[in-house]
Parts: sequence; structure tokens; C-alpha cells
Amino acid sequence: MQTNFTPEALENPAMQASEKILRTCVHCGFCTATCPTYLLLGDELDSPRGRIYLIKDMLENNRPATPQVVKHVDRCLSCLSCMTTCPSGVNYMHLVDHARSHIEKTHRRSFSDRVFRGILAAVLPYPNRFRVALLGAAIAKVFTPVLRHLPGIGARIEAMLSLAPRMIGGRSPLERPQIVSSEGPRRARVALLTGCAQPVLNPGINEATVRLLNRMSVEIVIPKDEGCCGALVHHMGHEAESHSFAKKNIAAWISESEGEGLDAIIITASGCGTTIKDYDFMFRNDPEWAEKAAKVSMLAKDITEFLATHELPATTRATNHTVAYHSACSMQHGQQIRDEPKKLLKSVGFNVKDVPEGHICCGSAGTYNILQPEIAGKLRSRKVANIQKIVPEIIATGNLGCMTQIGKGLSDTNDSTPIVHTVELLDWITGGPTPKAIEKAGLKADIAINTLAAE
Amino acid sequence: MGIAFPIPDNAIILRREAIISGLSALIPPESLITSEDERRAFETDALTSYRRMPLAVVLPTTTEEVAAILAFCNENGVKVVPRGAGTSLAGGAIPQEDAIVLGVGKMNKVLDINFGDRTMRVQSGITNLAISAEVAHKGFFYAPDPSSQLACTIAGNIAMNSGGAHCLRYGVTTNNILGVRMVLIDGTVVDIGSDAMDAQGLDLLGLIIGSEGQLGVVTEAIVRILPMAEGARPVLFGFETSEEAGACVAAIIGAGIIPVAMEFMDKPAIEICEAFAHAGYPLDAGALLIIEVEGSDAEMDAMLKKIVTIAKKHGVKTVKESKSATETAAIWKGRKSAFGATGRIADYICMDGTIPTGQLPYVLRRIDEIVKSYGLRVANVFHAGDGNLHPLILYNCNDPEEANKAEEAGNDILKLCVEVGGCLTGEHGVGIEKRDLMRHQFTDIDLGQQMRVRAVFDPKWLLNPAKVFPLDGRISP
Amino acid sequence: MSAPSLFAEQELIDSVHAALKAATPLSIIGSGTKSQIGRPAQSDKTLSTSALTGITLHEPAEMVIAARSGTPLAEVERRLADKKQMLPFEPMDYRPLLGSAGEPTIGGVVAANLSGPRRIMAGACRDSLIGVRLVNGKGELVKSGGRVMKNVTGLDLVKLVCGSWGTLGVLTEVTFKVLPKPQRSATLVLHGLDDANAIAALSAGLGSPFEVSGAAHLPNGVERVSATLLRLEGFDEQITYRLDALKKQLHRFAAADYVEGARSAALWRSVRDATFLVEPRENAVWRISIAPSKAAKIIAEIKKSLTIRHFYDWGGGLIWLSLPATGDAGAAAIRSALFGTGGYATLVRGPADIRAAIDVFEPLSPALRVLTAGIKQSFDPDGLFNPGRMIAGI
Ligand SMILES: Cc1cc2nc3c(=O)[nH]c(=O)nc-3n(C[C@H](O)[C@H](O)[C@H](O)COP(=O)(O)OP(=O)(O)OC[C@H]3O[C@@H](n4cnc5c(N)ncnc54)[C@H](O)[C@@H]3O)c2cc1C
Ligand code: SF4
Ligand code: SF4
Repeated sequence: MQTNFTPEALENPAMQASEKILRTCVHCGFCTATCPTYLLLGDELDSPRGRIYLIKDMLENNRPATPQVVKHVDRCLSCLSCMTTCPSGVNYMHLVDHARSHIEKTHRRSFSDRVFRGILAAVLPYPNRFRVALLGAAIAKVFTPVLRHLPGIGARIEAMLSLAPRMIGGRSPLERPQIVSSEGPRRARVALLTGCAQPVLNPGINEATVRLLNRMSVEIVIPKDEGCCGALVHHMGHEAESHSFAKKNIAAWISESEGEGLDAIIITASGCGTTIKDYDFMFRNDPEWAEKAAKVSMLAKDITEFLATHELPATTRATNHTVAYHSACSMQHGQQIRDEPKKLLKSVGFNVKDVPEGHICCGSAGTYNILQPEIAGKLRSRKVANIQKIVPEIIATGNLGCMTQIGKGLSDTNDSTPIVHTVELLDWITGGPTPKAIEKAGLKADIAINTLAAE
Repeated sequence: MGIAFPIPDNAIILRREAIISGLSALIPPESLITSEDERRAFETDALTSYRRMPLAVVLPTTTEEVAAILAFCNENGVKVVPRGAGTSLAGGAIPQEDAIVLGVGKMNKVLDINFGDRTMRVQSGITNLAISAEVAHKGFFYAPDPSSQLACTIAGNIAMNSGGAHCLRYGVTTNNILGVRMVLIDGTVVDIGSDAMDAQGLDLLGLIIGSEGQLGVVTEAIVRILPMAEGARPVLFGFETSEEAGACVAAIIGAGIIPVAMEFMDKPAIEICEAFAHAGYPLDAGALLIIEVEGSDAEMDAMLKKIVTIAKKHGVKTVKESKSATETAAIWKGRKSAFGATGRIADYICMDGTIPTGQLPYVLRRIDEIVKSYGLRVANVFHAGDGNLHPLILYNCNDPEEANKAEEAGNDILKLCVEVGGCLTGEHGVGIEKRDLMRHQFTDIDLGQQMRVRAVFDPKWLLNPAKVFPLDGRISP
Repeated sequence: MSAPSLFAEQELIDSVHAALKAATPLSIIGSGTKSQIGRPAQSDKTLSTSALTGITLHEPAEMVIAARSGTPLAEVERRLADKKQMLPFEPMDYRPLLGSAGEPTIGGVVAANLSGPRRIMAGACRDSLIGVRLVNGKGELVKSGGRVMKNVTGLDLVKLVCGSWGTLGVLTEVTFKVLPKPQRSATLVLHGLDDANAIAALSAGLGSPFEVSGAAHLPNGVERVSATLLRLEGFDEQITYRLDALKKQLHRFAAADYVEGARSAALWRSVRDATFLVEPRENAVWRISIAPSKAAKIIAEIKKSLTIRHFYDWGGGLIWLSLPATGDAGAAAIRSALFGTGGYATLVRGPADIRAAIDVFEPLSPALRVLTAGIKQSFDPDGLFNPGRMIAGI
């Protein structure tokens, strides 16, 4: 597409990168068809091509973001389905990231919006604050009927509360920095990103990961100073904050890598994976950090990506449960990981099925389900209906956000199908305990014959 | 850039506020787009070198809303540019400053499916591929398959009479639509055709299909759906030269074999598409034919044997059959993404002339010469079985001089197509792109007859008026 | 051959100019084999295309043929057959039904959009027609379309003219895309089905992947025991396989046997030309186009008030129906049965007085009538050509 930037504007590296992206877009419109918001709203402005055009116009003229531009960019889920579809290789992710930070710099949001976003940014990335907030939420839930009527933010508060669990467990031992040594001779050494919200909401995922890796003779280190990957604030356009989160992590991992060495940085939330793999782009123009960031991005691996290149432990249980595999957007579009998780699940015996319309987002998308409850709700219902079409016994996915979002949709339709992380299932069948959700649903997998014989 | 737009009607532009307030009484706020930023996103389609800001954009959700909008525009002399998904390569959906854009994107529902009669009724904003997706579970599909089928709407297909790779066997849009519901410019709703095969009276349906949004706004369509073949297998045939490939196509048809698809790519196109789709296209070939056969395994084997024998006589170097559904998907993905994938390496304009297939070798040679004479490069992908060419002229659209050259080269190619007995456009439509070349194909008498028919539907020339017919010498009824 | 025809086109233009000047409406005919269809002529003079003959283009490898409009259909078909090709749409021959004589012309085929049983698979005449030249009512020579298969340049007047029964202009040349003649053709026959089940069987066949190219049902009364026919065409190996596969698929309706060769061809010729309804000669004959799923119900409805003989083609989508030519020849009853179904009825055989009194073609809604009148006006402002043949007053 033709662009119209001034030479001065192009001296700014961010503008330069965006100009290059815009030049590759041929305005063919293919991406509109796989964009969840276009599917729902039928307005090109809520499609990738429309957003690209809005962003182009804003950046070319170096104009402050108008409320209209903000509205349509805010509605974008950053699901990156458009990037999978685009035949021209347009990097929409970098473009919309640039737009979001431009919006934050040039646009003053309404008071309620600022407060709300401020709270999310101040709480979610910090496990301790988040835990306290959830306790508050458990109490506030009681007041939902009142709160939902608050002007401006009522719907968002309601959405947030409805997603918060009624109970939260205790602190997982994995929240502390530590090294978990493997059984037998060490085959690999990896760092595990424990994350921010995930260990609070569902510590079982990382615990399963550690058990499984351990059985595979992989040593796991949880480095000191590791924290939120920065994705949550990054998607809100808070560039400085996200960079400072990122730097903290990079420093922690590089120090491990230069010390005892690291074969991979394991990530169990695909949303975080997408962001960490993009650290190299984030810091490409920062002489101090560029090289380190690139190294980290290279080491970053989704847990299923790592497992796919290593031999899984032998199965100890037999299963042929029908599993609906829900591919998180950050997994299939963000990281282009499609087959690995399904192959792994199949390899231990599950009967894995694809979800119809699997390329469309469930509406979770980080904080999207809180900030845009209406669209998120519609996408959730659509997703749950699609999952239900294949009548699964278990739903597996690789991202906690999706688990929460779809879980809410299931409970809304009185569907008690358990939803678990892929790694929990792999751990279970290869010797780990039954995942909580599976246990609750009363599903069983018999001890495998060969294992019995060995015992 | 050489294509002119009519001079906007200032009186209308000055009345913009009043027009918007009139429209706002007819549709809900989320269906009316007026702010400058938001309108701008509708200023062009897939022919992005031309852009015009519309007065406003309306996105109605029902036929009744469309009728109210058109009646209002007719009364107030406001021009209307209908829009589907805006994937037109001919600039068919590009607005003008004194017009509103009427988009059917929100009208995307399936209304009724009848498997016994093999028909389906849909709202016109549904995408081409969504129609097929809706009936795939029962083994049916909607046949015309433009490469843009993922995104383009049936409304756009009807307006452009779109074709696709599989049209050699299954026909184009006009052969697969049974009826439409259309709103005339005065707001009258007419049903043309039905779920029966023969129409009543004159074949107005045939007239409307391919009329580029100038006769009315289509809001619903009754489409034919067809049973899928038992199996389908695309085969890649690599040749050293385009001539050999072209001769092979003629020989296959001459032998009485009509494969469901025969697609051609030259070397630059092979490289571009392979880099994107990793479909296993032969990178050492000078020309590639993708030939698809359908049927049971035994039937496909028998048919392929015949085709391979012919191809061998024409010097085929590599023959590679798809062995799995994944490979088949990759092969077609590469072909159908050809234009977009070209965008990775350069800007392009895509030509769409059709020629008698016997002229293929000559025309390909001339295209190469023409484009080179402008100092540009070209990649060729096209539907070989029916002679519908798609030369992609590569250029840099930020360089105005090169853009002009590309446009001129394109015009020369289209004139060549007409000279050898072909036509300006095989499936993309005239739009603004080929409007000023129409006199190369038609006499003023031919055009006069077409314009008089057009004016029967839209006497004031309010519907998509800047398209198809040369701006001078327009005729009212 | 070619030179006189060239003059013939000019002569024809001159005749139109002369008629314009004298304000004499013209009846346009090829050889007149179908002149009894439509509302009776309201013109004193006849203009025939019979001097405009000759095939002007046949490129077998490009699958196109063009001929001047007065060329006998038989000549076109023969030329194609020489190259193992055919007109895909299997044009019917009205002579048996109408008892008319002469050689049907290719222009007449186009003007009437004549399409036979293969229409369900290969489309109608209008689907194969890719180019026309015609003289409009202003005496101008207009061309639309061309000789290439894919062409969306400008308004598709080709389609509009096809089936316009000579009301818009005088065709001088027509161009078609053609298909290879199938190597082998065979017909599966199911006996004893009632109308509804037969149509269900035909739908199942047409919904199968075996490319059924003819689907007709001859009820009791037309055949001694009702016969449901499904035709398969293609390569030899293909037909062997498909006959068997289709037979199995339709077994739930009835057991099937099959016929081939001359017998099969003769059967489809009868279906095509509706020869089952030739007798009694004095009866009126209607063609009804309707969605197949509604066809049997419509027939049941019509039978409540009329005594008819009928059979189905196009998988049930075309009903041929014969009944005594008394009163309005059943027009009111048939049209009221069709009301709201999206179906259309055309009286194709009937005495002139009835054809003058009723709507021979399905009457148009007011909006469509306005458009139709406008289009007629745009081609033929003085109302020279076949005035009122399709619709009274247009
Ligand atoms: C990458 C790419 C590949 C393509 N490949 C093919 C191909 O293989 N074959 C092919 O034929 N085309 C192809 N096209 C062209 C384009 O996709 C088709 O012309 C398509 O039919 C346009 O549909 P649309 O919904 O995008 O319509 P738009 O582009 O929005 O509009 C097209 C025309 O339709 C009119 N229109 C839209 N809606 C209505 C309505 N409701 N009523 C009346 N008129 C209306 C518009 O005014 C305009 O004139 C391709 C385009 C791209 C970008
Ligand atoms: S698919 Fe890619 S090239 Fe096409 S409009 Fe979308 S982003 Fe642009
Ligand atoms: S990231 Fe998702 S929501 Fe955003 S534009 Fe792309 S497809 Fe649409």
C-alpha cells in the first residue's frame, strides 16, 4: 500500500518499522474474514484492514489518537488471527503495539477508564497484590447486582468479578526462586517462567510442568527476580512499564544462562510466550539490551514446543478420552504452534479433536474480557457452542486466560466438562496425579497394563 | 495516475449535514459512520492507488433499511456506492466525495438451506467461503471460488460475476445463482428469479449479475449448492517453458478432457507462491500447471493417466501428485494467495484480460516484452483452461513515475487481449480501472445500448456512477 | 456461403430501417418452428433470418463455436459431432409437440433459451451462450460478449437477449462454449415409484457425487409402470463404476436396472421433446418451472380441479403437463396452485384464441413489469419486434 510519511517522521525507528509494515499490506481484505470482531460486528473499522487503515492515517499525520481510533483499536483482541491469514506477511502485532503506545501517549482516556485500567495494570502483574485483590473480589461478588449498575464501568466490574474464582488456594511452593533438580543424569536445564496471575489462579499447571520435566531428567530453575513478562501492560500501550518488566526478566535469565547455562526458557502460558519471543523486537534499537533480548527470545519455548523435541516419559495410565483441543490465539497465531500440542496428547492415547471455527478467539485475550465484556461475552458463547459440538470429555488448552474464559462459558451453560492445561494431561498419563479438574469431573484413567506388570 | 473521477457535486457536499441527519433517522447509530477518520477506512478497495472519501458510510442490517436509505438518496440526489468486502481489484467499490458508501457487511446470515433442491438462501454480505462452510458437513459446496473467497461477499461476486480456479468445470457466478432480492434506487424491493430453475419473463437475473452495483443493491441471494466430488487431487506439472505448458493445456482440452481446474504459473509466480505456501512447487520449472481431477480414486487414476500421457508428449519435466489433504490444501493455498504473497516482494497491479487459449504463447511473449519495455517486472498466474490471464505487474507505488508506467503497461496488455479476440476483463470487472478502455472493446452503439439498459434501473445515475462506462457520452433513457 | 450472409446482415438492417420508417411491426422468425409459442403475432410483416447462415468460427481446442443466426441447429450439431463435441444444454426440438415443420435455427434456439435434460448439470442455453450480435429496434448492430469463455466486460446483454423471444432485437450471430461429447452414456431406471418418492430419488441422485446429467420421472399414465430415469455420462470406466455406485445409493427407493446406447438416447430424446404429450393433439401443454421439493404437491393441487397428464424433468424442477384446451386451458387453476411457490408456468401449446386471452408467460409483478417495459423500450423504442408476444402491451 502506498504510504505518506515525512522523511523526518521516518527518522523515528518505531515509525520506520511501522512504515515498512504498512508497505507490505496490499489491502486485499483477506484478514477481515478471520477477525473475530469483524465477524461479530460486520464493520470494516473493527477488522484488521480497517484498523490498519486507521493506524496508518494516525501515524502518517503524526496525529493524536482520536476517540474513534481508540474505540476500534481497543476493540482489537490482539488475537493475531489476521497475521495467520495474511498472505503478505503483514506484522499486525508490531503495528498495533505501536498504535497502542501512540494512543497512550497522545490520548487522554475518560476518568473511569483511566482508573480502571490503572487498577488492572497495578494489580494483575504482581502475584501478591493479585491475591489480595481476589480476596476482595470474592467479597465484592456478593455486591455484583449493585455494582453492575455503576455508570461507565459497571459492566466491566461485573465481568471482572464473574471471572474471579470463589476460592483461591494457598501459595504454591513454586512461587519462590529455587532449583528443582532432576532425577538421574541431567539431560537439560531450563528456566521456568512462573508468571504472575497463573500461579495464583492455578498453581497446578506449573507443578505439573515441574513434575513432568523432572521425570524427563530436566533440571528446572526458577530464577530470582523473574516476574511478569510485561504482556498485560504492553497490550495497554504502557511501553515504559512493559519494558521494565521485560528487562528484569532478561537480566534474570541471562544471568542464569551465563552461569550454569540454560537450554530453554519454558513458558506455560502462551500469552506470555508470544511476548517473550518478541523481546528481540522490543529492544532491537537498544544497544545495551538488544543482544540479550535476542538470546532470550531464542531460548523461549512453549512447554509443548519443548516437549515435542524431547522424549516423553513412558505412560503409566491408559486413556482414550475425547479431548477437545482449544488452541489459544497466542499459541496458534502468536507463536504459530499448531500441531505439537495435539501430537503430544495423541501420543499418550487421547482422542484429540479440533474445535470447529478453531481459529476464532474465545474472547479472553489478556484483560480484554474485563475491558470489553460485551464482545468478549459473545465470543465466549460462540466458542463454547463450538466446543460443545464435538461433545468432548475433556477440554485442553495451553493458556490460563482461555481456561478461565471458557470455564465461565461452560458454567454458564451448566456444562461440567473439565478444562485443563495440556501439560496437566501429559503429566497425569505419564505418572503424575490426577489433575484437580479431572478429579472433580470424576474421570478416570486406568493404570496401564505394562506399568502394573512392572510393579 | 491516469484514471479520472467525475467532478463532485458541490451542492451535495454542502448539504452533507442535512444528508447525515436524514440518514440517522433511518438506521441505528452503529450503522452510520460519519467521522473523518472512520470514513477514511472506506476510501478505497483492493485497488488502493485510487482513493476518495465518501460523505458517509451506512451499514444497514435489513432489506427494509436498505430500501429506506435508497429511497432517501434517490429523493435527495445522493449517489450511492454499494460495497461488500471491498476486495475489488478494479476499484469497483471506491467511493466518490459526493456519494455515500452502502456496505452489506452486517448482513451476513444464512436464511435457509434446502439440500433436496440443492439451494440455499443467504443475505448478501455473507462471504463466499462461509456459504460453502455452512453446507460442507453434508458434502455440498458453492462452486465459484474466487481466490479471494475467504473474504469477498456473495454481493460482490454477484456484482462482478466473479469466477475462480474451478470455474472451468462448474461455471462462474452467473451460472450458480437462481435468484436475488434487490432494492432499486427508488426503494422498491424486487425479487428476481426464485428457487426454480427458469426465470419468468426476460432474464433480468442474468443482467443483474455482473452489473457492478449499478442496477440496484442486492440484499439476498438464492444460490445453487453442488455435491462435492468423492475426492479431488491436484497435480503439479512442471515445464521448461510457458509455450510447452500452453500447448499442453490446448492438447488436454482437445482430447476431450475437462479437468476441474487448470492453473498456470510462470517462474516468478512459482517462486513467490512457494516461498509463502511451501507447497512443493517445482522451483526449477519455467512454467507450472496445477491440474486438478475429481472423482473416486480409480476415476482420478484413469483420468490422470490420460493427462500425464499428453503432458509427456509436451515435454513435461516434473509431475507431482498431492498425496494428502494437507498437501492439497497447501497447493491451493499457494495458488489462491498468489496476489497477496506478491505483496511481500513488491506492489503490483493485477490485470484480468481473457484471450482465446490458442493465443497463449504469443500473448505471454508480448506481455513480457511490453512490461520489460517499461522497465518493470511481471509475474503470471492465471486460469489456463479458459484463457483468463492475471499478469501481475510489479512496481513501487511510492514512486509516482513507476506507478504511471505500471498503469500504462497494464493498459497495453489489455488492449493486446482485445486485439487477439479476447476481452478486457474475465472476472474482476471493469470498475474504474478499465472504464476508459471500454471503447477498445465496444463501439459507441454497443455502449449506448448498455447504458440505456442501465438507465432503466437508475435513470438519475446515482448508483455507483463513476464505474464501467466512460465518463463522457453518457446516455439516459 | 459467407459472402451472401454478410450482405444478408446488411439487408436485415435495411429491412429494420424500412420497417421503422413505415412503422410496421415485424414478426421475427428463424424458420418458424416455434411461431405458435407465445401470444399470437400482432404484426403484419415477417422478418426471417433464414438467409443468415453459416458457421463462422469453430475452434475445437478452445471449445467455441459461432454461427449466423439462421444456421440450422442440425448443422451446428453435426459440425460439433465431427469433432466429438456438443452443445452442452441439449436443446429441445419443439416440432413433434407443435406439429410444426422446417429446420430449427440456432438463433431460434437462443431466442427461446431452449434447454433440455442436461440443463440440471451443464446449464441452460443462456449458460453456454457467450456472445451475440443483434440488430436492435433502431436498426443498430449491437454486440455483446465475445468468443472467450470468461468475460465480464460491461453489462451482460447476452443473457438478457437469450430467451427474449425476439422482442429485443434480431439476432444475427451467436457464439457458444461447447463440451466434449461423453464417451459413454447410460440410464438407470427405477420402476414403480410415486411422484413424491421419485422426486426424492432424483434429488438423492443429483445430490450424489456421480454427476447425474439427466433426471426425469415418467408417472403411471405416461408409462405403463412409472419409470424414474437418471442418466450418467462420461468415460467408459467412470460409467461402469458410477452405475453401480448410484444403484446402491438409490436401492432404498427401488431396485434399478439400466439401459444404454440407442435405447437410452431415444428415451432422453423423448423426455427432451416431451413427445409423451404429443397426443392428443388438441390438448394444451404447459411447462412449469418449480423447486423440485414442491413439484409433487403442486401436481396434487392441480389435480384437484383438472384432469391432466404430466411428467417431470430436471429432477422434478420442470413439469410438463397436458390437459384439454377448453376455457382458459387451466391457466387460473395452475397459477393459483403456483401462487407463492416461486414457480412459473408457460403455456407452450394451445389454440391462438386462448393464447390471446391469457398470460402465456407467467405474469410479472408491477415492479418487474415496469423494468421489462423499460428494457424493451431501450432496445426497441418503436415497438417493432414481436410486440406483445411475451407480455401484452410490451
Ligand atoms: C487477492 C485477491 C484475489 C482475487 N481473486 C479473484 C478471483 O480469483 N476471481 C475473481 O473473480 N475475483 C477475484 N478477486 C476480485 C474480488 O475479490 C471480486 O471481485 C469479489 O467479487 C469482490 O467482492 P467484494 O465483496 O469484496 O465486493 P466489493 O469489492 O466490495 O464490491 C465489488 C463490486 O460489487 C458492488 N457491490 C457490492 N455489494 C453490492 C450489493 N449488495 N449490491 C450491488 N452491488 C454491490 C460494488 O459496488 C462493486 O462494484 C480477487 C481480489 C483480491 C484482492
Ligand atoms: S490480509 Fe494482509 S495484506 Fe491483506 S489487507 Fe489484511 S493485512 Fe493487508
Ligand atoms: S488481532 Fe485479532 S481482533 Fe485484532 S485485528 Fe487481528 S484478528 Fe482482529
